[in-house]
Amino acid sequence: MGFWDTITDLVEAATPWATADAEAPAAESKDMEETRNMRTPQARRIPADWEGDKTTVESSKEDEGEPEAEEEEEEDEEELSDPKEKLEAECTESKQCAPVKHHFDECVERVTGAGSDNKEDCVEEFFHLAHCASACAAPKLWSQLK
Amino acid sequence: MLARSCLRSTRAFASARNGAVRVSKRAASSSSSGSTADSPLRLNIAAVASTAVAAGSIAWYLHLYGPNAHAMTPAEEGLHPTKYPWVHQQWFKTFDHQALRRGFQVYREVCASCHSLSRVPYRALVGTVLAADEAKALAEENEYDDEPNDQGEIEKRPGKLADYLPAPYPNDEAARFANNGALPPDLSLMVKARHGGCDYIFSLLTGYPEEAPAGASVGEGLYFNPYFPGTGIAMARVLYDGLVDYEDETPATTSQMAKDVVEFLNWAAEPEMDDRKRMGMKVLVMTSVLFALSVWVKRYKWAYLKSRKIVYDPPKAAKNVRE
Repeated sequence: MGFWDTITDLVEAATPWATADAEAPAAESKDMEETRNMRTPQARRIPADWEGDKTTVESSKEDEGEPEAEEEEEEDEEELSDPKEKLEAECTESKQCAPVKHHFDECVERVTGAGSDNKEDCVEEFFHLAHCASACAAPKLWSQLK
Repeated sequence: MLARSCLRSTRAFASARNGAVRVSKRAASSSSSGSTADSPLRLNIAAVASTAVAAGSIAWYLHLYGPNAHAMTPAEEGLHPTKYPWVHQQWFKTFDHQALRRGFQVYREVCASCHSLSRVPYRALVGTVLAADEAKALAEENEYDDEPNDQGEIEKRPGKLADYLPAPYPNDEAARFANNGALPPDLSLMVKARHGGCDYIFSLLTGYPEEAPAGASVGEGLYFNPYFPGTGIAMARVLYDGLVDYEDETPATTSQMAKDVVEFLNWAAEPEMDDRKRMGMKVLVMTSVLFALSVWVKRYKWAYLKSRKIVYDPPKAAKNVRE
């Protein structure tokens, strides 16, 4: 760290088009605080003071943040439901997929009714139904997901 | 002698050919004129017969080669995934890096217990998925072989950014042994390695039905998944609602987690995508500028040709010219 580094650092801190660094958020906030302090030289002379301030601020934030997060989690766990399942269930019942649904239901009845000596399976019918349902649900699903 | 005879013979051939052509021409003209007069029926028969031959040959071809022989049943083929409107696959869109971050969280907390991501180093995550300090901290959680020390022994050191993400198993055999004989594939290039890419992986992760359809046979230790070729997959459903807690408080539904992790895997498979699209944009910009320039230059170069006027100034009189 030479003399010119200090000068360039100061200039960089003062310019409005300062570059964004890939640093951890905590470090960034510290940097920002430092730059703020650079602009007000009085605060820079007494670092112990603002460090103390910062810790108190952080601890107060944690105190506020934790119980809220827990409450939200509990709410989420109760309410959380997969939009894909819901949309595909709706699509399965819709008019669009009625023919394939009919075929699938018929197949299921036939196969379950046949007993032990049946060699048929409903995989193909299930494929057609699943394809219809997911194709119908795809755009709606993407509008709901983040 | 020989040459002369050859020449003569060729001449004779040529004359014969000419004669034949002449004869055939005469015959054709005479027959056409004659047929119009006496038998339109024969012409009709020829047309019908040729059409019948054409139709028949097509029918025969279709009979021989027409129907496709499917070597596999639809179940063996697997259900083809639905196309989803992925935003990052559009031409002028980039990865959503918030989604990448969420996807990496899902990979780390869920997938990484079985699947390796061996081609992705921690340094690749910096700036795209994680901040530098976060990536460093993650790397330091694992141990890697150090260089040999003075006694030639290899010691362990904490990881650094240049190291690659650790694999859950030391080799494929260990992975198979731990997973009932099934090998969890490496996910680094998985989006490129499967038909359907992102759509396939998303469908596979979210497509486990509650129960297999009636009559479907599922092998021992396998689970029914319509999107997996053969429908029997050794991986059980892993994503359930609320499995991870996202730091940005996105509701962690099954499909949300699947979408995020698939986008992350797409990033892992082609981390250059954002840069590639920017480069493509640059190419388009430069090409359009150069094209516009070339149009202006052409106008400039052709200006004297386009704006010239050619005038014929006739001489006033022949006398004047001579004088």
